[in-house]
Amino acid sequence: MPVVELSFKNLQKLIGKVSKKQLSDNLPFLGLDIESEENDSIRIEYSPNRPDFSTDFGIALGMQGLLGIKTGILKLKITNSKNYSITVKNDVSKVRPFVTGIIAKGGKIDDQIIKQFMAMQEDLHFGIGRQRKKSSIGIHDLDKIQFPLIYTTTSRTHKFIPLNAKSESSITQILESTQVGKDYGHLLANSQKVPIILDSNNQTVSFPPIINGSITTVLPKTKNLFVEVTGINKEEAENMLAIVATILQSAGFSLESINISGAKNSSPKFLERKILLDPLLVNQILGLDLNTSKIISCLKKCRLDGVLKGKKIQCTIPAYRFDIFGEMDLVEEVALGYGIQNLTPTLTPSQTIGQTNLISEKIKLLTNSMVGFGFIEALNSSLTSKRILYDNSNRIDSLSLSVLDSKSLEHTILRDSILPQLIENLSRNIHEPYPQKIFETGTVFLSRKEIDEEFNFAGIVAHQDANYSEMKSILQSALKTSFDLDIETKTNSEPLFEDGYCANITIKNNSVGLIGKINSKVLENYKIRVPVMGFEISLSNSIL
Amino acid sequence: MSQVLHEIEKKIISSLKINENQTPEQLEESTKLSSDQIRRGIEWLRLKEIINVNETQKIFYRLGKNGLESLENGLPEKRLLQLLFDGPRNITDLQKELGPVFGPSIGLARKNNWIETNNNEISLKNKPDKIPGEKTIEIIQKEKTSIDVLDKTEIEYLQKRPDFLEEEIEKIKEISLSESSKNIQVSELPVGIDVEAKVPQTFMGRTHPLKDTIDEIREIFVTLGFSEIIGNMTQSSFWNFDALFTPQDHPAREMQDTFYLDGILSKKIATPEQIKKVSASHKNNWKYSWDIRESQKMVLRTHTTCVTIKHLAETKPDEARFFSLGRVFRNEKVSYKHLVEFNQIEGVVIGKDATLRNLMGIQREFYKRIGITKIKFWPTFFPYTEPSLQTMVYNDRLGKWVELFGMGIFRPEVTKPLGITKPVLAWGGGIERIAMLKYGLDDVREFYNNNLDWLRNVPKCQ
Repeated sequence: MPVVELSFKNLQKLIGKVSKKQLSDNLPFLGLDIESEENDSIRIEYSPNRPDFSTDFGIALGMQGLLGIKTGILKLKITNSKNYSITVKNDVSKVRPFVTGIIAKGGKIDDQIIKQFMAMQEDLHFGIGRQRKKSSIGIHDLDKIQFPLIYTTTSRTHKFIPLNAKSESSITQILESTQVGKDYGHLLANSQKVPIILDSNNQTVSFPPIINGSITTVLPKTKNLFVEVTGINKEEAENMLAIVATILQSAGFSLESINISGAKNSSPKFLERKILLDPLLVNQILGLDLNTSKIISCLKKCRLDGVLKGKKIQCTIPAYRFDIFGEMDLVEEVALGYGIQNLTPTLTPSQTIGQTNLISEKIKLLTNSMVGFGFIEALNSSLTSKRILYDNSNRIDSLSLSVLDSKSLEHTILRDSILPQLIENLSRNIHEPYPQKIFETGTVFLSRKEIDEEFNFAGIVAHQDANYSEMKSILQSALKTSFDLDIETKTNSEPLFEDGYCANITIKNNSVGLIGKINSKVLENYKIRVPVMGFEISLSNSIL
Repeated sequence: MSQVLHEIEKKIISSLKINENQTPEQLEESTKLSSDQIRRGIEWLRLKEIINVNETQKIFYRLGKNGLESLENGLPEKRLLQLLFDGPRNITDLQKELGPVFGPSIGLARKNNWIETNNNEISLKNKPDKIPGEKTIEIIQKEKTSIDVLDKTEIEYLQKRPDFLEEEIEKIKEISLSESSKNIQVSELPVGIDVEAKVPQTFMGRTHPLKDTIDEIREIFVTLGFSEIIGNMTQSSFWNFDALFTPQDHPAREMQDTFYLDGILSKKIATPEQIKKVSASHKNNWKYSWDIRESQKMVLRTHTTCVTIKHLAETKPDEARFFSLGRVFRNEKVSYKHLVEFNQIEGVVIGKDATLRNLMGIQREFYKRIGITKIKFWPTFFPYTEPSLQTMVYNDRLGKWVELFGMGIFRPEVTKPLGITKPVLAWGGGIERIAMLKYGLDDVREFYNNNLDWLRNVPKCQ
């Protein structure tokens, strides 16, 4: 979840009429988690579906609504301008087909705001931009650019001074030697031609989605901004721009339009959407009995608008709220406007009769008998290591299932057996008093035609006088008393066990598992100095 | 000190009253107790200062190799003298007759002035009255013999000769009643045992503490009218993500968060209709080209919701309550806060009258039953529920609100494509978190360490 760091004072100034306490009490009811608070600084975690909360301007917008200071929709005021245009060339359609943008003038820019804009940009790139793949933003100093612009492609030998650099580099150099180039260069695949935004003096404004030109760097003395968004989907590029435009207007900038044309591109319209909301649905889902005017006022608190249209409410949704898909999202907005703290929990009597799963019940039976025999129940991960399953336990890796790119070396393959883990458990407890008796029931994974998940039951005893008969007798009694099943043991040989002390366990002539004395080599691997007996059976085919 | 004496102790005391000083062996004989019982009894009585244990040394002798030989054939010097009784003998003859003892016997006889040598002949000079050492060898015979019955001068004499005697020092314990206990009347002692004594620890069989919490939660849900369903831990991405409206390019699906199974695709993920409708919901709402190959990738389930939704899609009930409990996986670095594998509880209520307030009511009831009463609800976001909430519970130990279960109503974009028509309330969360609160743990790994000391001893009611 993305986190934004803000100043209480700034937020209070933007919201107006709110105490620090009121603020921290109410932020969670906007869906924001306070990660930490210290003096004037507050770190807030917001949901990735609400990128408008990536700056204090967006959060202030929401808080004003929730606290009733300013409600209803924030209209974008965009002055039509003929001074700015971007022409799109056909050749971009194969690499990054769409560009959109806006002009923002006269806002106050300082280090703090630049920092926030950069954080917002990064969050947008990561979330809705899908790591810049779908769309990416460039923010530029307007006064360094000579309009009109063209959005076109260029070869990889094209040279310009990239952001934060002092000298020219070629596209190839940027992709090979800068961090952003290495991180995002793959988005351009092997295309010979790469997208580029050039101004009328042929200066490089931006090389999307990698890096801006150095010439348009935004500094604290910058007055006016040009924002462009490029992407592979027009609507989503415009969505991202809508967020930025809303934030910029809230930050005090005046917006002016850019005329965009060519190659299926057009100027962004920032259209508000209309969705009809059925008040019955609201009350049915929330378990409330709100009248339509109450519902409308709740919507307004969430910075939306609504008017009654027959029996339904016609809601207006601003362009930046593209997280709203349909009616149900509006129900949630009503709940937020109503205040989650005002919803009282109710408990309706159950119409159904509860039941434990039969498998759980049978496992419980086995567990009870093992506890009766003095066994301690162990729990091991199903995702474990080759070391435990095979190397240390002398077993052969036939068809194990591994996961890709695990962050932990101890968790790379799914267990096909529990017993090796129980032996490993003994090795962690060699200083604890003996006898040690442990058991575990759990899922094992077998790679057959498809993945078979089976339920296994394993037990182990370790002490100076541990012997085969003791182990067999316990297993025999556990299955007899739990399920009235008789076991038979047939001589067998398996590398985990000592030769001559190993048997196949059969129930009604079906082989279900193994029992025996653990091989001394295995015990040596774990420095265990007492004899160990163990068994493991599959419950899936015989019992569950 | 307890006044109660064990039966063993009483028998020892009684015997010592008859025979004042006894060795443990003698006590064994007189009390008919085993050596182990005597050993323990002596130890207990000594600690209680009822008896004195007097440890002394006793010296014993046995015949060595040369001693035994002399016992059989006589001392070498005696054999020499006997040969000379009938007159002088030639040295060479004597050498033949006496063999290896010739040298020592001649030396000793000369030293004692018993014989004299002329040319090559040896003759008797003085016949001794007795030969020193002979008597001692006779007494010792082949037995271990106490120094008490032996002549000390002869012992010293024989000890100087090689391999005649072997000395053994034995430690002897002698047990006697202490002064203060001389008057103990065994018949007047109270009956019973020392009930105040320390006893060894007994280890019993036990269920795993986390399993107990899981069972407790299972029971609560059953009582609230929920039925348990069980599903696979390996799932296709289709059920784990697509069916839950998580777009294929969503960051949560990336490899750094999810465990994908190496090289395994699910062949039959769902019915053609389900695939058609779910993919359409993605295309229409998320606006990207949905790829069936992406949804065939097998993953370790990241939540139990995939089990729930699959079950709902299969059974399409109008009215039902069920829950699933089981392990889920996250590709994270293991730490005191995070495990790659943990347990989750997930519950759903489906019904035409199910509301958000009901959902909150069930949560409140559940928390109440596990002993948590300070709770509140905050809005949050999940890709597959709308509205979505999270429960915050107050942790007294940490002195702050901590997040517990997430909940919400399944989005129409999730339910409609699968033919589910009634509202579905769903909630879920990690069980380890609840168990950590219960057992006062700060490190979640403790549950899977299988540390016997903890498993054997942790109090289950805290």
